[in-house]
Amino acid sequence: MKNKIEISGLEVSYGDKPALNRVSFDVHENEILGIIGPAQSGKTTLLKVINRTLEFVPEASMDGTVKLDGVDISTIGDVYGLRRRIGMVLPLPVGLPLSIYDNVAFAPRAAGLRSKSQLDELVERCLQQAALWDEVKDRLDTLGTKLSGGQQQRLTIARALSHEPEVLCLDEFSIAIDPVTTMRIEDVLKTLQKEMTILLVTNLVQQAKRLATRTAFLLNGDLVEIDSTDVIFSDKPTHQATYDYVNGTFG
Amino acid sequence: MNTDTPVSPQDMFTETPIDRRKRLTESVMRVFLLIVTSVMIIPLLLIIGYLLYKAIPVLSFEFLFSNPRDNMRAGGIWAPFLGTIYLVVVSLLVSAPIGVFAAVYLNEYARESWFTRVTNLAVVNLAGVPSIVHALFGVGAFVLFAGLGESILAASLTLAIMTLPVIIASTTEALKAVPMSFREACWNLGATRWQTIRRIVIPNSISGILTGVILQVSRAAGETAPIMFTGAVFYKAIAEGNLFAYNIIEQCMALSLHLFTISTQVPDVTEGTPHGTAIVLVGSVLLVNATAIVLRVYLRTRKKW
Repeated sequence: MKNKIEISGLEVSYGDKPALNRVSFDVHENEILGIIGPAQSGKTTLLKVINRTLEFVPEASMDGTVKLDGVDISTIGDVYGLRRRIGMVLPLPVGLPLSIYDNVAFAPRAAGLRSKSQLDELVERCLQQAALWDEVKDRLDTLGTKLSGGQQQRLTIARALSHEPEVLCLDEFSIAIDPVTTMRIEDVLKTLQKEMTILLVTNLVQQAKRLATRTAFLLNGDLVEIDSTDVIFSDKPTHQATYDYVNGTFG
Repeated sequence: MNTDTPVSPQDMFTETPIDRRKRLTESVMRVFLLIVTSVMIIPLLLIIGYLLYKAIPVLSFEFLFSNPRDNMRAGGIWAPFLGTIYLVVVSLLVSAPIGVFAAVYLNEYARESWFTRVTNLAVVNLAGVPSIVHALFGVGAFVLFAGLGESILAASLTLAIMTLPVIIASTTEALKAVPMSFREACWNLGATRWQTIRRIVIPNSISGILTGVILQVSRAAGETAPIMFTGAVFYKAIAEGNLFAYNIIEQCMALSLHLFTISTQVPDVTEGTPHGTAIVLVGSVLLVNATAIVLRVYLRTRKKW
């Protein structure tokens, strides 16, 4: 199986406070990798490393290497191009203060796409993939910020798909949306898996169980274990802490 | 079931001594705050009312559009009025872009370092420097060193230096009001800092930025000290009614200095002329401030989140 991302010896700290301690693992192409762990375990930091937005955090420092398709990402000159290869969905929905259309067209335009017909087609496809098209197709010029929380989160997903990423990172995407919408998006993710690699950070261990091919368990910045989801959720994962966490008897 | 003495509905709504004290304190504070607010507004109304009362006899289009006459004892205020407009416009043409771009750099690009700390410290302290100090700096830097002589340009640059720190400070506040999550969302989409600023940050902070700039109009128009050694003169006749009557490398009259002159230096000034001059100065400033308020309200109704 081909490795999409290879992480080795990754260490991150914010000032004196360590966030990730020598974490190493690979992400396979076209898998959904579930990343679970309690708060402050380094899950979000991991995603920020992968699209190099950790660079916007002034006090952050990092060591180790992250390779995307075998290329060390710190050597990639076009960091904006790198970020477009990686879709990022944050926990809280952020509709940009632009129209729904402009929200989805933002990234392609930033990358230089100007053709109206191509943009139209792209916007429709992304909104459909994010299960939002039917609800907004008649009002694409209304403000994205006026949508409900669940709709804004799907708008965020449509926006993350708009630059046709190879890797899609979702950081607790279902925190602000209702269970029905969550299920619809989960179905979307299963479809998208054929086209891209998905990193699913989630606080809902059942979500990881439902979706993930493999699951990684992070605790206080350490990678406790990474294995196929069946093993992680079985009666005997390698570590007792993993068993306790996924069964809710942790701590 | 609770068998203690039951509380009747009447008792529940009867005022206790504590309730009464709270109610009284509330009324006293409301009246006290109203009085304090009135104390602030009443002098302003009295000043404007008194000025208007005195100025009504001289106020006319002719007053606005004709030069002072008879050694400034009579006539209008065209030359100082146009001079003030020149000074304000030229100074803001310089300070607004520099101030706004500097604030964008400090807020959006600069990392925490000794350079930004020193710059921010300088901005805060420069805003508190007395205008006469700016005047002396203007004489040294623009009139003498840069060789501009006493001119509209030198005076405007001095005013620009004076307004710059305040514009930087107000622009920074406006930029900070745009949520950080918008910027992060754009960066995650592969947008550069500049694309983020141009598409998201500036369009959503423009009302605050413009308000901050426009409020500096009144400061630039009102100051006397920074211009009296750098470009404003007691008397200079110009073509009446011609908006292009001044050359920016020459000196000009200004309303603030003119008001000082005819109030204290010239004997036997026509009754009402100083009041008329003051009303034009105050009125123009209020008009510009009102524009700022209208603009702010208009842009706020278009606020997007």
